[in-house]
Amino acid sequence: MVLGKVLVVEDDPDIQKLIRMSLMFRGVEDVVVANDGQECLFAVHAAMPDLILLDITMPRLDGYETCRRLKGDPRTRAIPVIFLSAKVQRGDEEIGTRAGALGYLTKPFDPMTLHQQILIILEKAEALGIV
Amino acid sequence: MIPGLPEIILDSLTSGVLAVDLEDRILFLNAPLSQYLMVDRQVWTGKPAADLFNSFGSQLSAKGKLAYRRDPLREGGRTRTRELEWKDGGRVMHLREDSGPMRDDSGKVMGRLYAYHDLSWEKTIDQMKSEFISIASHELRTPMTSIKGSVDLILGGCTGEINDEARELLGVAHSACDRMIRLINDILDLSKIEAGQIKLKLAVFQLSDAVDYSLRSLKTIAEQDGISFKVESSHSVLCVEADRDRIEQVVTNLVFNAIKFSPANGEITVSLSADDKWVTCSVSDHGSGIKEEDLDRIFGKFQQLGAPQRGGGTGLGLAITHALVTEHRGKIWVESQPGAGSRFIFRLPKAVAPPVEQEP
Repeated sequence: MVLGKVLVVEDDPDIQKLIRMSLMFRGVEDVVVANDGQECLFAVHAAMPDLILLDITMPRLDGYETCRRLKGDPRTRAIPVIFLSAKVQRGDEEIGTRAGALGYLTKPFDPMTLHQQILIILEKAEALGIV
Repeated sequence: MIPGLPEIILDSLTSGVLAVDLEDRILFLNAPLSQYLMVDRQVWTGKPAADLFNSFGSQLSAKGKLAYRRDPLREGGRTRTRELEWKDGGRVMHLREDSGPMRDDSGKVMGRLYAYHDLSWEKTIDQMKSEFISIASHELRTPMTSIKGSVDLILGGCTGEINDEARELLGVAHSACDRMIRLINDILDLSKIEAGQIKLKLAVFQLSDAVDYSLRSLKTIAEQDGISFKVESSHSVLCVEADRDRIEQVVTNLVFNAIKFSPANGEITVSLSADDKWVTCSVSDHGSGIKEEDLDRIFGKFQQLGAPQRGGGTGLGLAITHALVTEHRGKIWVESQPGAGSRFIFRLPKAVAPPVEQEP
C-alpha cells in the first residue's frame, strides 16, 4: 500500500515537523498540515488526502468532533482517519472509533515506525472491507 | 474558675466532639457538631448515638455507615482514626473521626470520646493537586514526544550518516527520554488512582492467567541475566473479580522489581494459594533484602531503597502497585530478611462466580 498524500491535523509545530519528516522519510509523497479541526475541515477539500492523521486535544475544534464532521460529509466520508494523540485514558480509543476513526495511535510515537503502524491499521481495515 | 469553662472550651473548638457512655448513649455533643448535624443537642443528650447517626443514614456513604456500626465496649481502650463521607444535599463532605477511650479518675473506661474534623478543604486541595499533576504530565508528554522523536529520526538515518560519538551521545539522550516518559506515565497513573479517577473494569478471571501473562512479558528481560521463574500453585481454581489489566500491572511491577534486585542466575518464585475469602499471590526473590526500618516506607512514593542489581525505576512502581491492590479491596505487604531476599505478598477477594470463558 502506498500513501500519496497525508493530511496531518496537529496544533504543535514541532510535532507537525516530526510527523512530516517521519512520513516523507518512509516515502509518502506529500504531507499537508492543518493546525486544528477547523483548518482541517477547510483544507481537506482542497487536499483530498489518502489519509487524515488527527490529534484530539486541539483549540477551536477537537479531534473527535472534527472526525464526526468528516464522516458526516459525503465528500470526505471515505477518507480514512487515524487518531494520533497523547490522550491515553481508557475509553479514549472507544470514543475515537465511535467517531468514525479506523485506529488510534498514541504519543509519544516512534517516528521510525509511524508509517508502518499506519499501514498495519489500513491493511487491517481493508481486509475487513471497511475501506 | 469560670463556671462552665470546660463546656465553653469544647464549644469554641472548630472540630466536633461527641462523648458516649459504655452503652453508646450520648453524654455530650459540642456546639460545632450539633450545628454540623443540624440537631438540638439538648434533645439528643442521653439518647443512643446510633439513633442520631441512623437518622442521617441515607446521607452517609457505605463507608460512613460502616464506621457508625460501633460499640464502645468492644472498642475498649483502643484509639482509632477513620475517614467518613457525608452528603449534604449535592455537596460531599469529608470528615476524619478520631476516637479513644474516656476514663474516670481510677483509669476505668467509662465511655468513648469522638472528635470530628472537617476534611473538605484538604480534599479540595488534594483534588486540585491531582488535576495539576494530570495537566502538567499531559503537557510534558508533547515536548518529550518531539525530543524523543527527533533523536529517533537522526539515529534512524533520516538526516544521513552520523559518526560513532554522535550516535553514542544520541543514545544517551534517547534513554533519558525513555526514562522521563516512564516517569511522566507513572506520575499520571498514580495521580489518577489517588484521585479516584480510574474505573476498574471488573471481570472474573484466574489469577494464574494474569501471572502467566506477566511472566511471559518479562521473560526476555529476566533471561538476559540468567534469571528464571518458578510458579507454585496449591489450588487449581484461583478466581478473583478484578480489573485484569490492572492486576497484570501489579504482578508485572512486583516481578520486575524482583528482577532488579535478584543476583545474576537467580530464581524468582511466584506462589499462588487460596482460602475461603482470599486469593493470595507472592513474589519472592533472593536479592539483598530490605532493612527492617525501611519496610514501612517501601510502598511510599519515590522510595528507591537498596541498590538494584540492574536497571532503575521511577520510584513509583510499588506506590502504584499498593494503590491498585487497595483499590481492589485487597491487601499488600512485604516480608524480608536483609541478605536473604524479599517476598511481596498481595491478596484479593475471592470471586464468587466462576470466570466467563473467553472466545479464542
